Amino acid sequence: MHEFSQPINRRSFLSNAGVGLGSLALGSLLHDEMALAGSRAAHGGLPGLPHHPAKVKRVIFLCMAGGPSHLETFDYKPKLAEMDGQPMPESFTAGQPIAQLQGKELKCQGPLVKFGKYGRNGQQISDFLPWHQKLADDICIIRSMVTEQINHDPAHTFMNTGTAISGRPSMGSWINYGLGSESQDLPGFVVLTSEGGRNPQPIASRQWSSGFLPSRFQGVEFNSSGDPVHYVSNPPGVSMSRQRRLVETINQLNEHRNRTVANPEIETRIAAYELAFRMQTSVPELVDVSDEPKHILDMYGATPGDGSYASNCLLARRLAERGVRFIHLYHRGWDHHGDLSRFMNICCGLTDKPTWALITDLKARGMLDDTLIIWGGEFGRTPMFQGKGGAGRDHHIKGFSMWMAGGGVKGGITHGNTDELGYNAVENVVHVRDLHATMLHLLGIDHRRFSVPFQGLDMRLTGVEAARPIREILA
Amino acid sequence: MIRLARRDLNHPLRLLSTALLGSLAVVGMTGAPSSADEIEFNRDIRPILSDRCFACHGPDATHREADLRLDDEQSAKDSVIIPGKPDESELVARITSDDADLRMPPTDSGKQLTSGEIALLSRWIAQGAAYQPFWAYVPPNRHEVPKAADAAWPRNWIDHFIADRLETEGLGPSPDADRVTLVRRLSFDLIGLPPTPAEVDAFVQDNTPGAYERLVDRLLDSPHFGERMAMYWLDLVRYADTVGYHGDQDHSISPYRDYVINAFNQNRPFDRFTREQLAGDLLPDSGTEQKVATGYNRLLQTSHEGGVQPKEYLTIYAADRVRNVSAVWMGATMGCCQCHDHKYDPYTTKDFYSMAAFFADVDEERHFTDGNNDLPTKRHPELELPTEDQARRLAELAAQIDEVQAERGGVAEDEKAAIKALDDQINQLKSQQAEVRKNIRRTMITVALAEPRVTRVLPRGNWLDDSGPIVEPAIPEFLGQVPSKEPRATRLDLANWLTSPDGAGPLTARVMANRFWYLCFGTGLAGVLDDFGGQGEAPVHPELLDNLAIEFVDSGWNVKHMLKLIVTSRAYRQSSAAPDALAARDPLNRLYARQSRFRVPAETVRDTALAASGLLVTGSGGPSVRPYQPAGYYRHLNFPTRTYKHHADDRQWRRGVYVHWQRQFLHPMLKAFDAPSREECTAQRSRSNTPLAALVLLNDPSFIEAARVFAEQAVSAGGDTFDARIEYIFRRALSRKPDKAERALLADLLAESRQQFQDDLEAARELIGIGQKPVAAAADAAELAAWTSVTRAVLNLSEVYTRN
Repeated sequence: MHEFSQPINRRSFLSNAGVGLGSLALGSLLHDEMALAGSRAAHGGLPGLPHHPAKVKRVIFLCMAGGPSHLETFDYKPKLAEMDGQPMPESFTAGQPIAQLQGKELKCQGPLVKFGKYGRNGQQISDFLPWHQKLADDICIIRSMVTEQINHDPAHTFMNTGTAISGRPSMGSWINYGLGSESQDLPGFVVLTSEGGRNPQPIASRQWSSGFLPSRFQGVEFNSSGDPVHYVSNPPGVSMSRQRRLVETINQLNEHRNRTVANPEIETRIAAYELAFRMQTSVPELVDVSDEPKHILDMYGATPGDGSYASNCLLARRLAERGVRFIHLYHRGWDHHGDLSRFMNICCGLTDKPTWALITDLKARGMLDDTLIIWGGEFGRTPMFQGKGGAGRDHHIKGFSMWMAGGGVKGGITHGNTDELGYNAVENVVHVRDLHATMLHLLGIDHRRFSVPFQGLDMRLTGVEAARPIREILA
Repeated sequence: MIRLARRDLNHPLRLLSTALLGSLAVVGMTGAPSSADEIEFNRDIRPILSDRCFACHGPDATHREADLRLDDEQSAKDSVIIPGKPDESELVARITSDDADLRMPPTDSGKQLTSGEIALLSRWIAQGAAYQPFWAYVPPNRHEVPKAADAAWPRNWIDHFIADRLETEGLGPSPDADRVTLVRRLSFDLIGLPPTPAEVDAFVQDNTPGAYERLVDRLLDSPHFGERMAMYWLDLVRYADTVGYHGDQDHSISPYRDYVINAFNQNRPFDRFTREQLAGDLLPDSGTEQKVATGYNRLLQTSHEGGVQPKEYLTIYAADRVRNVSAVWMGATMGCCQCHDHKYDPYTTKDFYSMAAFFADVDEERHFTDGNNDLPTKRHPELELPTEDQARRLAELAAQIDEVQAERGGVAEDEKAAIKALDDQINQLKSQQAEVRKNIRRTMITVALAEPRVTRVLPRGNWLDDSGPIVEPAIPEFLGQVPSKEPRATRLDLANWLTSPDGAGPLTARVMANRFWYLCFGTGLAGVLDDFGGQGEAPVHPELLDNLAIEFVDSGWNVKHMLKLIVTSRAYRQSSAAPDALAARDPLNRLYARQSRFRVPAETVRDTALAASGLLVTGSGGPSVRPYQPAGYYRHLNFPTRTYKHHADDRQWRRGVYVHWQRQFLHPMLKAFDAPSREECTAQRSRSNTPLAALVLLNDPSFIEAARVFAEQAVSAGGDTFDARIEYIFRRALSRKPDKAERALLADLLAESRQQFQDDLEAARELIGIGQKPVAAAADAAELAAWTSVTRAVLNLSEVYTRN
């Protein structure tokens, strides 16, 4: 607590670079937020963390919202092609959770695209993803994912928080809470959304909620139009220097008052105003990509300010460069209950190349080694046919594909398998909790020791059931 | 999980470390100190069993292992506990076993018992393994009021409980807060607004006996009292202006909000308030107000999306209602039981669906077919609420139509021209009628279906599985049976049971009394306001909470009486300052050795800036209002796509409680200050302190406009000197005068700003042109802009929005 009893130098606080989001800590913790955890180090992050040397500093999570089909991306099933149109064997489906196909006739739907083998190990990648084919040696494909929630909103909640129960922190909040932010002037958890495809399902802002953690760890959504962050622009008639002078006065007045009342909350507010002011410069600078050369814009396929996934991938790189700890992209449009081929073409057309560009760009800048990239939806899709306007597939949670790339992850390998029809993950099954444990491990965190007491429970991102880092894919 | 036995917590070192461990301190301070030999089940044993054992050996029958219930005395003593004989009790054998396969809790549970806990369980068995019923299900008892050692301190019986406990802990109360702080605290707590300078002066100068009580009475009588209480109630019942799911269209419900405000203002007894909302349509004296109140049953999120399967959504709605009713009135987390029996509390899946069955008569299916993408959409049944003018106009039009129709009846069929003229007249009158009707306020209400829907227990919550048994409306079985005169119990029976002294009334009263306390102290006596279950938190002051609950029932469910009782206590009047030693000892202020200080709720942040500036428009009720909002904020909305248009008239400056509540995209200002989306019951908002909130106060046009109008007021009404104007500004925003340092800092800011704006008049005009409130034509732009910088600085101060 002692560091807060030092008076803040009146004239220098705005140039004092050592205060990031994570360091707003102790003051507000002393109030209701104190219910959460023990003391915190001055520059963010929990004492004792990381538990072991980290492989990566940051995570970029590319969420393909709606649930892309594993059977048309990374999980080739010749047997399913053979059985196309035939009844789905009941041995697979009896007693299984089924979403919209519940009570309907279940028949096999063969892959709607050709696959090829790419990279030195011949990773199977479909023709919907020609740019991913070039990434074959960079990515580790996990074909044996399982989750527990079969509808979008709860499935996102499960993927983000490890449970479908509301009010729990999102993984980006957990990580910033544990490790603090490396950014001096940006939030540690940023969310960017784009859409295009079939029936873009809403993504509620609760997906980046900090739950029971202090709300400064919540994700901040950057808008593609208007103020990139609400109210980040000065009012008309107020220049940056005037605003700076105003914020100085506000903090001096708060500081003066605090000498009388000694309210830790005021300390927190002073730090919040410092960061708010820095964000007023840093955020517009971040989203203004006019300093990017044309070949970079072309590589991503980004048109500045268009709010596309391509632009968001470019922003993700810029956020990563500036030390943002968790960058979460959502592309809405993968809910392919029908007309899957057409919509896969649209979704892959919008996301395939920018994803390649992001990895390629990070690699060129030497940043892929300390960045973890995770790609995937909230679930996969059924081997069974659904026909809401042409062949499509229903939600599926018993086996689907994701991939990871970056520091500490073996590129060019495929981990796990589903059965011959792509229904159940049967080999090296990876639960969402294992994914979380792996992510935390790469960040230097032992998931079992990373907990917060809340409402009588010891809360962990990985919950109370079995979870383990996927050692087999670690480099 | 580390649950510390309470006796350990009274050790000074332990208290220090619990201060660092945060919430553990709460647990630590829950019970009275106990001697080493005296083990109390609820205090010492239940928390261990609940956390470590109940998941597999508790109320959930489906996941129960070895057919053993440790929450059930009989089951436990029939098998693993032999009272008085720990060495012969299987329970002790299993928790102390060296064999990893036998030892409990099993390794894969991730749970462990400490050696201290094992010893405690053994001693408890040695002492006879006495069980106790769970505190939250035991009706409150009236406890004898302890005697505070310092007889001069207490002002009412609440204080004796507080003081007695403080003495036990070796602490004493804080001195009384000064009068300015008190009037500001009371104003924020009771009406959600800061006091005016005149109100502050009146109270500070009133040295006659009873001044404080008179102030309390004035605030409780204020029409703003209802608005403040509604801010809280609307969070509980998840009131919002939009449907929540899918297209998040507007729905018609704001008259319900006005009902809530009026009910609190009229001090509607809480039992009647409950009956009106759950079952106003079934009351013998049901009038318009009672029908509007039944909007409660329609507040949940709904959808008419194309692919919606009504059966699925009716299941979702039913579950939503059970979650809300149980959270609001019972402090119970019954939501768990949608899929399985509760793991910690004695609620079963059957209880869940039986509760849902009370609402199976709510007419709500029409929107699956006639819900449209208009704003507002349709959610029949709705009630039209014409104003007197509208009603008169409609009656006039109806009479005129009748008249013309009668006339037309008398005209011969071959008089084509005359008939056409009369038909035209009728059509014109009818379109006038439609025009009037279009502007009539509507609100969703509850209408009972003659044939309630069949309610079944849904195995694992699966709405497609019809194999479960049909259930009738019933309260949770372990709480007894709901009395009913009908063959099938009704919502009214449920409402009566929830508030009946012979039913759950005393339990409900305890849930609510805890929330009144929270409103006046910033934390509840039981810390989790919507979970009085096994994984919630036992009250810090169980006897005080019990007595408050009984007082609530005995007072005739008198809400104002309860608030007055609490705010007139000496405990309430304490200073909120936290000296280091006290802050270290009791960081969460659970012992109430001082008052709490915390940032005011989102709506009050808005109201405070508007009130200080003089912009606040204080009328009561009406359709929701739309303040300025960032352009494009609703771009993710569809069905229909929509562009937000802020209100261009006086509605711009109304209180936060009236702001349009868009569930999927809540106004960013409200969101930045932790207002909830109101998808679910919120009993306790978080109180964050973030850069995003700072940006709101710095740059949101509502706050810039308020600063400018505030500056105009200061210049025109604050006096001619700098000192007079600064004093005016401080008194309005902070209820106090500025000190020398503050004057100096703001004088510097003013001088610099004045110079800069004089050099850049265009910038000055831009700044003072923000907002729709006209600027006086004669205003000196640079001077006004400079003073606006000053008021902006003041309206950003932490102190303005802190309730001390």
